[in-house]
Amino acid sequence: MSVVSGDRGAVYDRGYRPYEGPRGRRGAATLALYKASMRRALGIRRSWRQKFAPFVLLGVVTIPAIVNVGIGYVTRDRLEDSLEIITYRDYVGVSSALLLFVALVAPDVMCPDRRQRVLPLMFARPLTGVDYVMAKVGAIASILFAFSFLPQVVLFVGNMLVSDSAYSYFTGHLDILWKVPLSVVILALYYAVIGVAIGSLTERRIVAGASVIGLLLITSISAGVIVGDTRPGEGSIAALIDILSLPLYLRDLVFLGNIDPDTPLTGVTNGGPLAIATYLVVLFLGIGVLLHRYRWVER
Amino acid sequence: MAVVEASSLLRIDGLTKRYPGVTALDDLTIDLPRGLVGLVGANGAGKTTMFRLLLGISKPTEGRIEVCGIDVGSDPIGVRSRLGYMPEHDCLPLDQTAADVVSTFGELSGLPARAARQRASDILDLVGLDEARFRPISGFSTGMRQRTKLAQALVGDPELVLLDEPTAGLDPLGREEMLALVARLGTFGISVLMATHLLDDVQQVCHHVVMIDAGRLVVSGATDALLERTGFVTVDVGPRSEELVAGLSRIGLSAVAADGLIEVTVDGDDQMDTIRDVIAELQLPLYRLTTRLTSLDEVFLRLAGSSA
Repeated sequence: MSVVSGDRGAVYDRGYRPYEGPRGRRGAATLALYKASMRRALGIRRSWRQKFAPFVLLGVVTIPAIVNVGIGYVTRDRLEDSLEIITYRDYVGVSSALLLFVALVAPDVMCPDRRQRVLPLMFARPLTGVDYVMAKVGAIASILFAFSFLPQVVLFVGNMLVSDSAYSYFTGHLDILWKVPLSVVILALYYAVIGVAIGSLTERRIVAGASVIGLLLITSISAGVIVGDTRPGEGSIAALIDILSLPLYLRDLVFLGNIDPDTPLTGVTNGGPLAIATYLVVLFLGIGVLLHRYRWVER
Repeated sequence: MAVVEASSLLRIDGLTKRYPGVTALDDLTIDLPRGLVGLVGANGAGKTTMFRLLLGISKPTEGRIEVCGIDVGSDPIGVRSRLGYMPEHDCLPLDQTAADVVSTFGELSGLPARAARQRASDILDLVGLDEARFRPISGFSTGMRQRTKLAQALVGDPELVLLDEPTAGLDPLGREEMLALVARLGTFGISVLMATHLLDDVQQVCHHVVMIDAGRLVVSGATDALLERTGFVTVDVGPRSEELVAGLSRIGLSAVAADGLIEVTVDGDDQMDTIRDVIAELQLPLYRLTTRLTSLDEVFLRLAGSSA
């Protein structure tokens, strides 16, 4: 260390100190990118404007749970059976807030890397294209999981506390403890892959966001037009083109063990396996798009 | 000048990279020492392609590369763990602070989060951005952005840093400061491969030069060895230069005064003594007496022309 002294102080040139501590490789780099993407998506270390949208959306998706618990508390002495405005199965659903969140956040963690040409810096690190895709999808899926799961926790804990016997409620709803997380994982992974895959196709966030909403809504409306009104047992296989609602069939399989009779897939032979297969096709198609987009790193 | 270690930094053997319709690099074989090395060539000569190959993010059509003793083909991740890379183009996330960007890239280089933050602070201090490290990069000048790019390349404590046109877009003062920073890296034990088309930059800081032209190796050698004597001596004797020109002409030496300096054509070191004696005889002050060397530009033009 060199020191330059003057009458009023000293300037220290600390020079350069080599790093001799532990050093990770691909796993560490992937985890670092995962954490950086999470921070970006949640607006952490960014201006308040970037924090506003994710946390407002979290508040919005939690409101039904709070309302349900509140009504349960107010009516706990007046009704013999507890009032259930929203079920755990219904709550694992596609809300407008969640859709908006995917369209807003997934492009935000993907598009700037291309637009600002940050990718060459990233791939000069011990990181491959597959690692990059895993980190980005993992970050968005984790946030979607958290934003879908936390309201369920509020609902479950709240219902337990306002019930006559918290222990009885808990033991009576043990199946919820695996059905909800599994369903939320199915939902979060699906929308994360779709959002991130579309985000990888353009440099412009607005285009990617509009494309996410457009794809999901257009396929949903198209399926609605083709299938029309359905009665129990009279659904159509065309319901599977509804990319927006596809994971809800898998949710029903988790909660009910079969396709819900009130859905457009009701009565379709092998509807459950077909829904799973279509879900996997969409998932692998999205992952295929992502791996193709970042394949150049492996050349 | 940099501390130079004897061991090899980079071994390239028969390296060829072809794209459809174009050969970017053609059968390059180079063995480079540690220290500050300049990679020189015109735009499109293949410098950036070579960097991509060194980083293992592009595979050669033929040939083999070894960086810091690691074969790039068999362990590209291992090579990237030892390298830092500063691209020529803008590549920084503009809405983040320099501290966040550099510490994130530290973590991406495999450093634990706490160590990455500490090193980001140290490195930003080193490159002169200590005061500005919590400001968004969008408000940075070109020079500050170049320093941030250099900082992210250094934060992982690399053995070798690849610098692609580090002085591009800088004003003269910024350029001098960047070159001074690059020159300092050698004293820290960090080797540098600096790609540029500005031969003055290389001549100023690099002890070894690799020249490529249209993907082919023109020459690779120590900078000092490439700079040859031109046969001219530059003399500065202050305002009485005309007296010296006349004195040298009297003994048969060709001398021309221009811009306050005298350029004398010499043939051998004996005539240097003669010039000194004439100056002493005329009782002129001697401020400067130097042999003019060729510039790297002249070497490049001559060798590239002869190899074409």
